[in-house]
Amino acid sequence: MENTSTDIRQLNEKIHQASAFVDLLNMELGKVIVGQRYMVERLLIGLLAQGHVLLEGVPGLAKTLSIKSLSSAINAKFSRIQFTPDLLPADVIGTMIYNQQKNEFVVRRGPIFANFILADEINRAPAKVQSALLEAMQERQITIGDTTFKLDEPFLVLATQNPIEQEGTYMLPEAQVDRFMLKIVIGYPTKEEEKLIIRQNLNPDMNTAIRPVIQPGDILEARKLVREVYMDEKIEKYILDIVFATRHPEEYKLNKLKPLIAYGGSPRASINLAWAAKAYAFMKRRGYVIPEDVRNICFDVMRHRVGLTYEAEAENVTSENILSEILNTVEVP
Amino acid sequence: MMLPFGLLAQQISVIAQTDTNSIRIGEQIKLQLTATLTPAQISNANFKVAFPVIPDSLDHFEVVNRSAIDTVQDGTRHLLHQTYTLTSFDSGHWTFPPVRFEVVDASGTPDSAFTQPIGIDVNTVAVDTTKAFKPIKTVQSVPWNIWDYWIYLAIGAGLVLLIGGLIWFFRRKPKKAPVVNVPTISPYELAVHNLKALKEEKLWQQGDVKQYYTRLTDILRTYFENQFGIAALELTSEELLNNIKPITKLNQQRDKLRSLLAIADLAKFAKLQPTPDEHEDCMKKAEEILEWTRPPKVEPAQETKSENH
Repeated sequence: MENTSTDIRQLNEKIHQASAFVDLLNMELGKVIVGQRYMVERLLIGLLAQGHVLLEGVPGLAKTLSIKSLSSAINAKFSRIQFTPDLLPADVIGTMIYNQQKNEFVVRRGPIFANFILADEINRAPAKVQSALLEAMQERQITIGDTTFKLDEPFLVLATQNPIEQEGTYMLPEAQVDRFMLKIVIGYPTKEEEKLIIRQNLNPDMNTAIRPVIQPGDILEARKLVREVYMDEKIEKYILDIVFATRHPEEYKLNKLKPLIAYGGSPRASINLAWAAKAYAFMKRRGYVIPEDVRNICFDVMRHRVGLTYEAEAENVTSENILSEILNTVEVP
Repeated sequence: MMLPFGLLAQQISVIAQTDTNSIRIGEQIKLQLTATLTPAQISNANFKVAFPVIPDSLDHFEVVNRSAIDTVQDGTRHLLHQTYTLTSFDSGHWTFPPVRFEVVDASGTPDSAFTQPIGIDVNTVAVDTTKAFKPIKTVQSVPWNIWDYWIYLAIGAGLVLLIGGLIWFFRRKPKKAPVVNVPTISPYELAVHNLKALKEEKLWQQGDVKQYYTRLTDILRTYFENQFGIAALELTSEELLNNIKPITKLNQQRDKLRSLLAIADLAKFAKLQPTPDEHEDCMKKAEEILEWTRPPKVEPAQETKSENH
């Protein structure tokens, strides 16, 4: 059924009210997290759009603190898994153990049974473990023995990768990386931010505990509203133009990009771009998507979905360079 | 000079003679072999003479060169000549041996004819042993001769002529008159014209509000792109407002543009139906922005005057 002008106004009003918790969350998280607003915002997008986040950044950038604080503010269960080369799938998802007293096998659930998972250094574990996690992310359910368990909602995985050390790591294959809705790259805080971080850590009076400001149920309600956010046909076309430009740049007068791109965005890229744009519009307390929303999250949704050729790597061309070129060429509706 | 010696075989005379019978060591001697044939022998199909084949080296003599067999008409006789150039590097008196001509006579019987041996003195160089040994002479330079380099001089002269000719040709070629691009319509005029056309189409009056605002913003964006070089068609509303900051004249209309773009975005992406007053107001704002940023007209007379200065 097509939305009418009145419907949109009502929806806009409803979303304006329902999205008020975003400001509350930001305020609460701001008590303990200095800077990293960008990362927190992306985590919320992943949470609202039912996606997962792959994070690339050097150690010590408050990744654990951010997701743990977000979890506390939502009153959700948090779990951290450190990926190592000797990790087994059972260490992540759980296993059946034998109870001698009862003379039966019982299920011991793994750390994945939580709302927020921090999969630290995901590329340190072998493919079998990565695959188990990524399957759980996609299916949102786990099978141990003969029993299938639905994972609790909301369910968000924040996987991290260290961009510096690549020795002894198991690179995530393209098909696995594609399962992450967003890939965010975070850098060091500014000088001012780092000064605050030092003070906050040295002064015990400034160590504030995060209190829950919303409940997991509110996130599930918000997700329903995100789904309702209006996306005009023009925006859909804009999303498709961006994704198709990564596949067939020559059709968008970007012939120079043709030898640099090995493969473009998959249909999952279009879906995730649309979802993330809707979630971003919701966070900006709007009931409709505008081109700004698409552009804002475009890099995070697309950077891991554009494959580079050897030629591009030899010329130090990054997927961000390619996306910038595309965004500067594709006409905004 | 040695006298020729000959042997007759079937009335054929063969002679070997040298141009000298005394040479210095390493000097060359011309040895001429001659066979004289009568007219009867020539006319006979069976009669044949084969000249001897002297090897490259024979006792005390070396063959330097051998010529082809030459035929000379001497009255009624035919003389067949072949000249060998010989040399010797052994001093002493040596005899050049008789050589054999193979002959097949008129009846087809094979026979031979031999030349006489020739005595040749090969003298060595007289060395004055009382004098000291002299060193080997160094490489002697040949005196410069213009004819040794004539080919290079000719190529150089040819190139100079060619380059000169090309320069002359292109200078002589009449220059094309410069193409004066007369602008047909300025970005401002185009925008005004398009706004007028949009008004006349009465899109919002017919209920096509979305199309009305899409066209309205496109006209403005195209104008900004052509007039101010901002890639406005590839920018979002917020980015466009940020990009006009360096252009003072346009930035003065920032609030008007912001309000217009906000309503247009709502109409385009949120299905908002602005009121008729708002439609009119947006059109008015677009016209005002155009008028405010209109480039000053340059009078042709003034232009000429300033050029003269």
